[in-house]
Amino acid sequence: MTGFIDLYTEASTFLHRMDPRVKIVAVATLSLLALITSHLVYLLVLAAVMVVLILFGRASYKKTMLAFSYVFRVMALIVVLWPLFDPRGTPVLFGFGPIRITEPGILAGIATAARIFCLAAAWYLLMFTTSQRDLVRGLVKMGLRFDFGLSLAMSLRFLPTFSAIVESIKDAQRARGLELDKGNLRKRARDYVAVLVPTVITALKMADTLSLALQSRAYGARTDRTYMRELKMRAGDYVALLIAVAVFAIPATAKYIFSIPL
Amino acid sequence: MIPRVPASVDQDKIISVHGLKFVYDGGVQALAGLNLDVRRGDYLAIVGGNGSGKTTLAKNLNGLLRPTSGSVIINGTSTSELTVAELAKVIGYAFQNPDHQLFCSSVVEEVRFGPLNLGYSEAEVAKKTELSIEAMDLSAVKDQPPFSLTLGERRRVSIASVMAMDPQVFILDEPTTGLDARETDDLMDSIDRLNLDGHTVVLITHDMKLVAKHAKRVVVMSEGRIVLDSDPGGVFTDLELLLRSKLVPPPVSQLAHRLSSLGVPREVLSPEELVFHLMSGRGARR
Repeated sequence: MTGFIDLYTEASTFLHRMDPRVKIVAVATLSLLALITSHLVYLLVLAAVMVVLILFGRASYKKTMLAFSYVFRVMALIVVLWPLFDPRGTPVLFGFGPIRITEPGILAGIATAARIFCLAAAWYLLMFTTSQRDLVRGLVKMGLRFDFGLSLAMSLRFLPTFSAIVESIKDAQRARGLELDKGNLRKRARDYVAVLVPTVITALKMADTLSLALQSRAYGARTDRTYMRELKMRAGDYVALLIAVAVFAIPATAKYIFSIPL
Repeated sequence: MIPRVPASVDQDKIISVHGLKFVYDGGVQALAGLNLDVRRGDYLAIVGGNGSGKTTLAKNLNGLLRPTSGSVIINGTSTSELTVAELAKVIGYAFQNPDHQLFCSSVVEEVRFGPLNLGYSEAEVAKKTELSIEAMDLSAVKDQPPFSLTLGERRRVSIASVMAMDPQVFILDEPTTGLDARETDDLMDSIDRLNLDGHTVVLITHDMKLVAKHAKRVVVMSEGRIVLDSDPGGVFTDLELLLRSKLVPPPVSQLAHRLSSLGVPREVLSPEELVFHLMSGRGARR
């Protein structure tokens, strides 16, 4: 039983205090940066910067390892498989029939693994330094419709509740002699219907109750919303925003306008 | 270490729990070493405040949870040697929320699901299904989708679906929560019948009136331990212990307490008994 984990890690570092809007922009620019460069050295430098930022954010070791356990597996797979399917370039290090392991192939594999790491790390930086509330607040301030933001916040809020319900439903069906994860794929798919149907019905009932609860507290009575907490950009936030945009804008200009390969 | 079953197994003992401790993944200790023997035909109520470990104990009995230490022996075999499906043949468990298990498009299909899983033949499944539907008074709605039924009926469906697996023991987790007085009475009548037919019933509940009226034996749990194990009359005389276990005795017992100076015994469990003692005892003499 694993259940859902909230990546947010309580702390008071500059990353936690940064305006969520700036962080959302930074995730976008850092991700794009990782996508437009394919040079191994640049990607490794970017990956190193990410690691330093994660350390500055005082991430919890346990949660980080949990969040990255799948990423690491995918990276390992890429490093192993990439050279096998990318026979371009010289020198050839190993050749047997159609298999040609080349040095550029190996380096490209490592570079791609580093890129995957950078993409994951960028998102992780946002998720572990920003509470769900702030994240939604930021998105709404950036133009997301408020009701969409509220739906998002509520779905995040209900994820743990929901995973507990799914566990309870699984238990209830096991007590009726259902052996999940046993037998062939068809039997398993059929067995999961016994879990899926009560889950969906419970979810719909919960949603119904929730919408009544919202309405009974006069949700949507005013069209001009006021907010309990307004986000306010501080000097540091502007500096961070400038850096976040610059780290993408400068290499992008170099690559696409001045045709400097990256 | 699994304690071996002694050669002379007590044939009447259907559940035997020794030094059972259970700690959840997060490190919360829910059961702090408890012993419990349940005999065939017992009508046992497990009572205790929220978080006292009632449901954790029940889940340890049908193998959904395995002891952190200690042992649970069902019919002479340790649960650590049995799968949940194998245990389901002996221990039937109806969950608190029936909506967590109903998924079929008719009551009949729902009730069939359990015995089918256990590998009974078509004829046996049909027979068990019909008997259970009748026993739970569901014949009138047997072709309707379970989700269209009232909560009381859905509870019955969930109990019928357990009954169809033909278990020797019924564990019923808060079966009357959310039911009105009439639905509660009807449901408890059906449960009493199960016990009269020789089934062992384990009732998990908060409702002391229910306990006073139906159970033959009461186990009081508090902080993962059994603090009292007695017949209902005996349990309700120990007010202090009940309060410490976050329980309040049924009104009739409270009244009997206050009237004890008039010669009313504290073990009184029903209004009829109370009236009887008031009329015949010193109370009637003024």
